[in-house]
Amino acid sequence: MPSSVPSRKNYFKSSEIFLNPNAIKNTNGGEFESLPMNDEKSLFDNGVSRRSFMAVLSGSMALVAASCRRPDHKLVPYVKSVEYQIPGIPNYYTTVFQHKNAAHGLLIRSSDGHPTKIDGNDLHPISKGKSSAFAQATLVNLYDPDRMNRAKINGGDSTVNNALSHIKGAVLSSIQDGKSVRILIDEHCSPTFSKLISEIEGKFPLIKFVVLPSVFADGSAEAMLKTTGYDGEILPNLSLANTIVSVDNDFLGTDKFAVYHTANFSQNRKPEAGKAVMNMLIAAESTLTLTGANADKRMLLSPAETDAFVLGILKEIIAAKGSALIGSDVESAVANVQTTPNSQFAAKELLKAGDKAIVMVGAHRSVAANAAAYAINTLLGSIGSGKIIDPNAAIPNSNCKYPAVKELREELKAGKIGAVIFANTNPEYTADRELNNLLKKTPNRFSWSLYKDETASIASVYIPTTHYIETWGDAIAPGGIVSIQQPIIAPVNPTSQSVQELCLNLAKLLDETFLPEITGYYDYLRANYKSNFPDKQSWEKTLSDGIIAGLPASVSVNLSHSSAGLAQALGMKEEMKFDGLIGCVSLSYSLGDGYYSNNSWLLELADPITKMTWDNVAVMNSATAVLSNVKQGDIIAVAGNHGSVEVPAYILPGMADGVVGLALGFGRTSSGNVANGVGDSAYKLFGANESIGYYPIKVEKTGKISVLAATQNHNTIDDDREIIKETTLAELAANTENSSGIIELPISLVDNYTYKGHRWAMTIDLSACTGCNACVIACQSENNIPNVGKKDTANGREMHWLRMDRYFSRTSEGEESVEVSFQPMFCQHCENAPCENVCPVAATTHSPEGLNEMTYNRCVGTKYCLNNCPYKVRRFNWFNYHKHDAEPSNLLYNPDVTMRMRGVMEKCTFCVQRINHAKFHAKDQGRSQVVDGEVVTACQQACPASAIYFGNINDKTSKVVESRKTVRGYRVLEELNVRPSVTYLEKVRNREAKSEMSVHHG
Amino acid sequence: MSATTAAIPDDMQNVSGYMAEAMSPNEEPFREPLILGNPSMHDVSRKIIDIIEGKVTGKYLATLAVTATLAIWGIICTGYTIVTGIGVWGLNNPVAWGWDITDFVFWIGIGHAGTLISAILFLFRQKWRTAINRSAEAMTIFAVICALLMVLMHTGRPWFAYWLFPYPNQMLMWINFRSPLVWDVFAVNTYFTVSLLFWFTGLVPDFATARNMVKNSVAKKIYHFFSLGWTGSTRHWHIYELAYLIFAAISTPLVLSVHSVVSFDFATSVIPGWHTTIFPPYFVAGAIFSGFAMVMTLLIIAREILNLKDFITLKHLDNMSKIILATGMMVGYAYSMELFIAWYSKNTYEWATFYNRLTGDYAWAYWTMVSCNVISPQIFWFKKMRRTIPVMFIMSIFVNIGMWFERFTIIATSLHHDYLPSSWGYYSPTWVEISIFIGTFGIFLTLFLLFAKFVPMIAIAEIKGVMPNAQPHHHEESH
Repeated sequence: MPSSVPSRKNYFKSSEIFLNPNAIKNTNGGEFESLPMNDEKSLFDNGVSRRSFMAVLSGSMALVAASCRRPDHKLVPYVKSVEYQIPGIPNYYTTVFQHKNAAHGLLIRSSDGHPTKIDGNDLHPISKGKSSAFAQATLVNLYDPDRMNRAKINGGDSTVNNALSHIKGAVLSSIQDGKSVRILIDEHCSPTFSKLISEIEGKFPLIKFVVLPSVFADGSAEAMLKTTGYDGEILPNLSLANTIVSVDNDFLGTDKFAVYHTANFSQNRKPEAGKAVMNMLIAAESTLTLTGANADKRMLLSPAETDAFVLGILKEIIAAKGSALIGSDVESAVANVQTTPNSQFAAKELLKAGDKAIVMVGAHRSVAANAAAYAINTLLGSIGSGKIIDPNAAIPNSNCKYPAVKELREELKAGKIGAVIFANTNPEYTADRELNNLLKKTPNRFSWSLYKDETASIASVYIPTTHYIETWGDAIAPGGIVSIQQPIIAPVNPTSQSVQELCLNLAKLLDETFLPEITGYYDYLRANYKSNFPDKQSWEKTLSDGIIAGLPASVSVNLSHSSAGLAQALGMKEEMKFDGLIGCVSLSYSLGDGYYSNNSWLLELADPITKMTWDNVAVMNSATAVLSNVKQGDIIAVAGNHGSVEVPAYILPGMADGVVGLALGFGRTSSGNVANGVGDSAYKLFGANESIGYYPIKVEKTGKISVLAATQNHNTIDDDREIIKETTLAELAANTENSSGIIELPISLVDNYTYKGHRWAMTIDLSACTGCNACVIACQSENNIPNVGKKDTANGREMHWLRMDRYFSRTSEGEESVEVSFQPMFCQHCENAPCENVCPVAATTHSPEGLNEMTYNRCVGTKYCLNNCPYKVRRFNWFNYHKHDAEPSNLLYNPDVTMRMRGVMEKCTFCVQRINHAKFHAKDQGRSQVVDGEVVTACQQACPASAIYFGNINDKTSKVVESRKTVRGYRVLEELNVRPSVTYLEKVRNREAKSEMSVHHG
Repeated sequence: MSATTAAIPDDMQNVSGYMAEAMSPNEEPFREPLILGNPSMHDVSRKIIDIIEGKVTGKYLATLAVTATLAIWGIICTGYTIVTGIGVWGLNNPVAWGWDITDFVFWIGIGHAGTLISAILFLFRQKWRTAINRSAEAMTIFAVICALLMVLMHTGRPWFAYWLFPYPNQMLMWINFRSPLVWDVFAVNTYFTVSLLFWFTGLVPDFATARNMVKNSVAKKIYHFFSLGWTGSTRHWHIYELAYLIFAAISTPLVLSVHSVVSFDFATSVIPGWHTTIFPPYFVAGAIFSGFAMVMTLLIIAREILNLKDFITLKHLDNMSKIILATGMMVGYAYSMELFIAWYSKNTYEWATFYNRLTGDYAWAYWTMVSCNVISPQIFWFKKMRRTIPVMFIMSIFVNIGMWFERFTIIATSLHHDYLPSSWGYYSPTWVEISIFIGTFGIFLTLFLLFAKFVPMIAIAEIKGVMPNAQPHHHEESH
């Protein structure tokens, strides 16, 4: 009652109540009181007339007929708030993603309790706040409705406990029979899991864990082992390198540490007229990789020439520096090597840079080449503490993987194995046929896996495992930084358990005395760090930071080589004698090894080089295609010695003659509805002990033709449109102009709009950008961008607001000597936007802060804006793409961004939701302006190269203003006077002469 | 009212005073007669009303069945599009307008001949227009209906298309007057309204004739309603002719404005191949060109099927052929000038677009357009060709095809290769949009057939005005 609470204001609904407070009591007290009617008479005030009775009667009958009321249900109010949880405000949690044995520190945004975005943890030394497209896209798998939610025994539904006791029975009987049990696990970098493994192996001598990687690349570790006795690899720090010679090493592309390498590499790719310094990348390769695409000098080698190329460099370096550091044995080992102009050029550049130079050979290539790289780096002085190759930065668990698997093979052949558990490994898909057949002969096979995958179908018991975001764990990064992997959400599928948990539970089932005080893997993990973090506070601090400060576990290795070992390793060259075509099998840029393939974000993410989506392709140059009588899009059978795949042919410049490139990760048959049957699996080409690399193949046409779902087509342009601008370091150094960063506007009849307050703008440094696609997925994740599928992608209907444009240019050195340039393209937020004035309903308008805004609700869908956009960055919803999102995949979306229905246009918003968050925050603190760096767009946040600057150009001290003050700055299609807000900085290649540009793209 | 009007002999009622005055009897011997067979005025009325009154022929029904089927199929496909989304069409990211807007511009263009014939030729006292103006105007209206359907359907959310109209609303949203699409809305709606009223005004005396002559009582009532109480009094004629003249004056600028405004959709954009100042006159010429071709197609069929050879004579067709020849050369000039300017401007994008039109993925469309619109009409330099029905018929079809491809070339080829090569694509239609286009033909022809059956398809009143009998003459001369 108002009178009882005097301090409270009285709100009244009408003057009636105000004048006569008692009037309210006269109403019937219902929830929705009607306001007094004009005649102020209730129907029955003066008795019931015949007419009013009939009126009420008929009205009631009509109501009875019309109102089928739903039964009443009481709403349960949100009375108990969750700690730290303010509805609508996301929380951020750290965790770590183990991409094989690469720890990638993550920062995960949790909106109302469910993860909605993955980014890098900026405290983590490997991710440095950045993330790859792949890591970000694993979020899709978290909410994948195709993940199996029940354990299975012989195909029938069961519980995890029953399934585990079933496994226990089989394991026990195997052990009783004296047969071994093998648990096949994937590569990992978890110290606690390693500890658990050794404890289990200690307790149960017949149980052994075997790391079964999907892809083997032992060349580098083996060379290290032979040379220094250290079985593993070291992570080079490219930020210290001035000259990098990469030999078939796609460190910017398919490498597990690509984010780390990209950040370090691109850091030194931003030269300015005043300080024209940058690193130089020389890439020697046989297929066109992302690394080759970013090279200043790209050398096209046939696969068989690689060893000789690296040894040739070694010979040149020895000639210049002497062999004192590596011993004379080595000198004789390279005595017979012929140097080529390429190796001479590389050696010359390496010597120029001295200890700031490194040769990196692909880990999958020969021991000889890797050992030669080691020898060169030793001679150059780039190995050592504080140098590019720092023995303190050993990569955990990077030892040779073949020996253990070879041993497993022998044991299987000998029939010594009684049971095998596939723990997040999928040999039925990834392993060669021999190993598969051997595994299938094992009496008991069990599968613990995220999906009911190919291997689960040959297992009698299947238990679903958790996604890494649902799992407790830890991971150690090179350099010894340990991160705790904390779950951000309770398992979406409550029956699933992590592999670690299952191992622990199985061990406890087998023997009750095993770790009796530990009840779960979390306890085990916590106990493992008890000494470091005795109290709750320090533990929570660790979880909050995402790294364990002050706990660099010692991973330093001793790199003292033996000259004899080195010389011996240099002799371990690859046998490469090809009569015909050469198949090159590599990891897919989007899908990696295929573990997370049931992922529409990844499948629709255009390959950075081929721009292909939703399919695997056989990539070859036009000469190879002519030789094989193959045309673009012809489905060809690529037959190796062990199997054959059917994929469409894709003609790409920049491939070595006779080399046909194939990617792994496709051709899943039991992954989920999204990935099943997409492409063909190149794993089928592998024989025993074969993995990524080069194999003799034959190509045959099948007569079928495929529609290639590429996001860019083949077109040749010979005119002088300046969309991509490139320069060389020499030219930049010679440039004495200065740029104020102020863009001269042409004379206009009307006054230009003056932006008061904020004025948002962006800069993209094309020189730093490597085309890695991280921004594309970041944008998709942040802005709830739907996928459209293969058919619509083939018809040019992909929805990505940010696309990565790729342009080729030919150099004067021949047909296959191409250079690649990348250009992230998205709404340019033109000041004078052609899209805005053509919209008949004013659905796209200009904001006072310089944003080109799209009002979805108002859009009628004339598509006129799209037609009139010179950049063609607007995206139309041809269908209701989100309509068929099955639960729980609807949890994937960012609640701050509207879902768009069909028939409306959409496009990049400069992450307006983030701008608004920052503005609200500023307002809360009483500021009228957002501080520089307070708004970070999704693409900017993800970009490993830090090539994106965003901010307020009315703030003259902002980084984005700074970034525009360069002679490299230009705006795409500036001549149209659309006045884009995005400034691109010219790409710079580190070389003397001007590059000859005849751009085409294909 | 009908009692009084019925007393007046129908054939005396509709001698158009104003129009008769416009005639100069001195010209008579030098000109080919506009009506053949020298019928009496009653014969004229009878013959035209007989089309309405006569038995429905099997040929007519069969034709109607075919066109109605096409129309219904088009409507079903339209419904499918609305329910599923315009993703069922082949449009894509660079090419967001394809057959839909091509069809829209095509149909708007078709309409133009009607207005030209009814308004401009009227003001210029071109007497030969009387035999064909009614059907040309009807064609205008039906074509604009088809165009409106296309422009409605091309939106992603057609149920909100009314937002394109300026009306007070709770959203406090006004339309964007800077958008050429808004100009389009005004231009096309004005055009439709004026054309409809103009057509109806001209019909009033003829509805009265029909009212007087038909036997069926229901039909009589309907014609009675539409004849608005027409008695044929001098005062009615006076008002009618004044109104007709005013409508002609209002419609005349529309002939130029509508297609100019439609061309602004393209001309005011920034896309090479669209951004051209030549578009307004070029589009108007093209519209008249295609409109006359469509009139020709329809009238050649109508005069055969409905036996109207005496009214729609070779002279009419000859005149239309001449207009086709003239406007065909105008568009030919526009094509060459566009091309010349693209080359002469040294604008990279502009020239790339035109070079792509000549040689690129859609070169076949460009060359179809040039052959149909520029090369083939040259045959009309020969009088014999202008008077050979099969030649004219085939030519009119050619021109229609050519003009459709003109719009397709402008829209699709400009869009599929614009500024950034990375976004280039290719567009091909799906069966749905092809069906909808065929459906618009079905709707157009069905409406035309219904019109021919239920509305006097030749302006009875006007045609009497151009007959020799309507001119001052001696009573001895035969009627």
